[in-house]
Amino acid sequence: MPSSLSTDHVSTLYRFCAQSMQYPEPNWFTAQYLTSLSTLLETLGGKNEVRLLQKTFDASLDPIEDLQVEHTRLFINGVPHVAAPPYASVYLEKTLKGKYSEEVLLFYQSHGYTMTENADLPDSLIHQLEFLSFVAEDQNRSAEEEFLKRFFLPWFSTFSARVTKEAQHPFYQIIISIIEFFTKEEEEYGVQLNEA
Amino acid sequence: MQYGMIIDLERCVGCHACTIACKAEWEVPVDFGRNWVYRMGPSLVGTEMASTYYPGLCNHCEDPVCVPECPADAEEMTFTDAKTGKTATVEVAATWKDPFDGTVQIDKARCLGCGACADVCPYNARYINPDLVDDVSDEGKADKCTYCKPRVDAGLEPACVQTCITDARIFGDLSDPDSAVSRYVKNGAVGIEPNGGELGPNSRYYGKKKDMALLMETQTPELANLSHVRRRAMLASLVKPAMKKAKNIGLLGVVGAVIAKGVMDSNKEE
Amino acid sequence: MAFNLTRRKFLQSASLAAVALPLSEVIASESGIQRSPLETPGSFQDKTVVGGICEMCFWRCQLTGKTRNDRLVKIEGNPKSIDNGTAICARGNAGIQLLYDPDRLKYPLKNVGERGNPKWKRISWDEALKECGTKLKEVEEKYGPQGISVFPHGSTAKYPMHFFERAVGTHNVSEASFFQCRGIRDTAYVATTGMPPGEFVDMPNSKAILLIGSHLGENVHVSHIKRYIKGLQNGAKLIVVDPRYSASAAKSDIWVKIKPGTDTAFLLAIMNYLITEKKYDQDFVEEYGYGFDELAAGIKEWSFEKAAKECDVPAAQIKEVADLLAESAPGVSIHPGRHVSWYGNDFQRQRSLACLTGLLGAYFVKGGWVPGKNPKVGGVSWAKKEHEGEHNLNVDEDDEYLHPFSPPGTPTELIRDAALTGKPYPIKGCVIWGQNPIQTIPGQEKMKDVLRQMDFVMCVDVMPTDATMWADILLPEVSYLERYDYIKTGTQWNFADKQQQYISARMPLVKPMFERKDQVYITNEIARLMGYEKDIPVQTVEEMVEKNLEVAGLTLEQLRKEDGIHIREGKNPYQMPEDFEVMFYNEDIEDAGFPGIPTYVTVEQPPKGFLRLLYGRVPVHTFNRSQNNIWLNKAMPDNPVWLNDALAAKMGLKDGDVVGFVNQDGFKSRTTTTVKTTPGIRTDGVYMAHGYGSSNPLMSVGVDAGVDDTSLMTKITVDPETGAHGMRNNFVKITKDGKVIEIPASA
Repeated sequence: MPSSLSTDHVSTLYRFCAQSMQYPEPNWFTAQYLTSLSTLLETLGGKNEVRLLQKTFDASLDPIEDLQVEHTRLFINGVPHVAAPPYASVYLEKTLKGKYSEEVLLFYQSHGYTMTENADLPDSLIHQLEFLSFVAEDQNRSAEEEFLKRFFLPWFSTFSARVTKEAQHPFYQIIISIIEFFTKEEEEYGVQLNEA
Repeated sequence: MQYGMIIDLERCVGCHACTIACKAEWEVPVDFGRNWVYRMGPSLVGTEMASTYYPGLCNHCEDPVCVPECPADAEEMTFTDAKTGKTATVEVAATWKDPFDGTVQIDKARCLGCGACADVCPYNARYINPDLVDDVSDEGKADKCTYCKPRVDAGLEPACVQTCITDARIFGDLSDPDSAVSRYVKNGAVGIEPNGGELGPNSRYYGKKKDMALLMETQTPELANLSHVRRRAMLASLVKPAMKKAKNIGLLGVVGAVIAKGVMDSNKEE
Repeated sequence: MAFNLTRRKFLQSASLAAVALPLSEVIASESGIQRSPLETPGSFQDKTVVGGICEMCFWRCQLTGKTRNDRLVKIEGNPKSIDNGTAICARGNAGIQLLYDPDRLKYPLKNVGERGNPKWKRISWDEALKECGTKLKEVEEKYGPQGISVFPHGSTAKYPMHFFERAVGTHNVSEASFFQCRGIRDTAYVATTGMPPGEFVDMPNSKAILLIGSHLGENVHVSHIKRYIKGLQNGAKLIVVDPRYSASAAKSDIWVKIKPGTDTAFLLAIMNYLITEKKYDQDFVEEYGYGFDELAAGIKEWSFEKAAKECDVPAAQIKEVADLLAESAPGVSIHPGRHVSWYGNDFQRQRSLACLTGLLGAYFVKGGWVPGKNPKVGGVSWAKKEHEGEHNLNVDEDDEYLHPFSPPGTPTELIRDAALTGKPYPIKGCVIWGQNPIQTIPGQEKMKDVLRQMDFVMCVDVMPTDATMWADILLPEVSYLERYDYIKTGTQWNFADKQQQYISARMPLVKPMFERKDQVYITNEIARLMGYEKDIPVQTVEEMVEKNLEVAGLTLEQLRKEDGIHIREGKNPYQMPEDFEVMFYNEDIEDAGFPGIPTYVTVEQPPKGFLRLLYGRVPVHTFNRSQNNIWLNKAMPDNPVWLNDALAAKMGLKDGDVVGFVNQDGFKSRTTTTVKTTPGIRTDGVYMAHGYGSSNPLMSVGVDAGVDDTSLMTKITVDPETGAHGMRNNFVKITKDGKVIEIPASA
């Protein structure tokens, strides 16, 4: 049986990842956030990444604006095309709001979650990570696994490859690899953790 | 009854509305199509300049070559005549010719995804839809034009006919001599037979002499090499059920665990 | 990145309390889940939403939507429509791929890089609007309202255009639909009959249809194509004058394979023959004609033989056309065309068409030019304020017009030249709304220089087109499927049917996504910031539509009840209006220093070794707005260049060869396309479809597919009467593997 402590951690991790993918604004992109990220990276053995981030931020006149520009180019509107829209349908059906969007929403609903009024599209990376964090908090391991397998992993690798290829700032490459690390691991070990 | 479609090339302007409407109606993956429009020419037909279109789709043939190639196990299916309510029970594989309306259809749940039917169709009217996967086939399922059977059964026109901007597509019952499609046939509308084949295509073309000549000259297909198709189909029928079995066992294990977990969870909540 | 821990170990060792961050709000509810079925259900079972009006092109068919949950699954023609009916074209059907295009603009963006090489940063609407309002006000205060230029296109651009023209007071507005498309046609017909001609030809009831260059079928406007095909089905003879065996040539009875640029000579010879042989409609000319004698005398020299030589077609064929038209008159459809900015001698050709229609007596008769009688609706917009001086660049120091027959606005070249020279005054602010001046206007580098020297550039669009790269602030607009605005009126498409009129208004089929806003919101906010709050005519776009409908005694509510279209009894379309007149000779034109009767002006022919670059449409694309539509892109992924087959053989080129181009100024195409050899084109030109060759490095499909024809138009020609562009005066050589393939001397 998984300990409740580890489940909480899973949930927190997902939420941390989701937060990191939000549009960078001073209200959350704080010194405290960066300290947390560094701690996480160092615990994972990502010393080089911490150094790289530090170097990039030190070299910048306006670190937040740099990240805003990078976020916009990668995820909102690039010139003239957005590099890696953070929506699953784009990778699976080459459109926003495809069939996949409906199915993912149904899945959320079947596990007791629905979208808020001003939410982004249901298949957005942020909401998928948020959903994962909620089901992890609910200790609903089967939902977490099924979601990863059916909905998350089929598109995420294509998305992460595009971010890795197109990113010019190390921040998103690092965040994406953290997400990749945890979602892959989660799937790999999920069944075993549940074997009791 | 035999449903058929006429494409009147005198009216067709090659606009592609039919292909895009079909994509939207049946959510066909972007890289595939259940129908198509090719432009031929301008080139000389004899001494005359000509240019026309080949708006193609499944021919729902009198004697379809695709149906007998399906390696899926035959099962009894009951068909109903939409008009009279009469029923008939026939043993069919995963693709068949409907005994009442004459359309050629696919049971996607039973389709093995082997592609034999797609390979044998001289018109390339079938493709394997990679989005449609299940435990029987993880490579996809055969898909093609159904003459919009679900729409037609609901009393509507096929999506391509409804959107056609010049009424160049006419749908109806070829066995009814008074239908618009039959009148076109009387006036000379013909299907495209493959070289050396007699499949009886029920999608038929009507147009100026030079345009019809250009169509036939450039679009008459060859029959597929049956031995190739059959070897693949045979392999599929041997291998797929085995794979399916193996998969089902694995899957049962997982599903079992999930259900058990689900029960435990709900108990806890109570 | 290689992490040296597994997740499991990590969980056992680490404490993550420090990274905990707030949750998003969630509302829990119970619902079932089902596996998606293998068979797609088909849209016909979905909910129908009425009130859509298409804008994949500007014909604007009437739509309904099929929605599943809040997703638009399919778009269909509104069955109640007496215009397009249930039919919509490929582009109309593909509208959902524009709606849900991942590349669509989503949030306001600020350029923190440089113009043309932008770095976008998402900003709030407040910040974006404040920036636009402040910067435009600065330009207005420093340089006067004329310092602001506007490049509008489409139905959302009218409201902001009127704001800048009427409230702020700039004359420097260049609409692509006028100066690069149909403006010449409209002013030439107005100078002849007093009315812009639209494409109002009663083709279903014609005995003969004459198309000059109009390749109906490659260019698709649904009810127009319905008229055309109905006419042919009813037995109309079709004459197609085109250097290429176009889609309509393929349906023609007579194909006139004319030398490019010589159409006016062809038309003059026909008119001369009709007059000298007394085959024109003498009663009509007597009653409605003006200046017939001047015309008759002025075109006397135009024998069939002279025209045959000029046009490079047999004299007998011109006679055949003339006789066919004379026999069929007055029930003949002399098509006025649509995109007519071709050679810089276009005003005279359009005048010729209008006069030929008159000689045949083909105005307001069955089968002729018949505009139809549309119902009246309102046109609420900004009121025109008094301004000191017009600062019209089209008027010189002596108060003379440079281009007296310019369509409304200011000719593009005058705006661009003023901007570049600062004379007579600087132009330092630029508002681009729905237009893509980089890809629609010849002289791409010139346009870039114009934009570079601006103090401020703002763009409003649905897609990140090439022009948007030049914006300082880029605003995302709702699409035609997500907004109210346009009121479409008209009649049943076939005048032989019961006379009816319709009124329909664009209503949203789905809610807008992300932070996209409509034109009234954006314009009003900018107006407030610029100090024009008191002049704001309506608060919302819905209010504007309601006011415009009120004129017809309708409301949106009522329209919705009537499935989106209000139909009422129509009027006899053949009723000739009072004071109708055809000016074969127009004094005003002569006074302005141009020929008062239709006159042929020769155009430059390709230098030796070059081929004229001709371009046209494919039915799946409208300008560049459809370039990124994945369904349309897949339907016709590139634009093969048509090359005469005999010429190709001599040059050693065959079907499918990959080629590029170099033009007369040494400009090389950035991309390549394939060769299509055909006997269906002349040997002095090549043809390709417009709307291809986007320079987009990240496009998932069709990256660099085909060649951008506009990029090869470095030579700029202006039609002198109108100031509109001539776009078919560039010449190219074909290149293969980077080397020029010369045309052998024997060819």
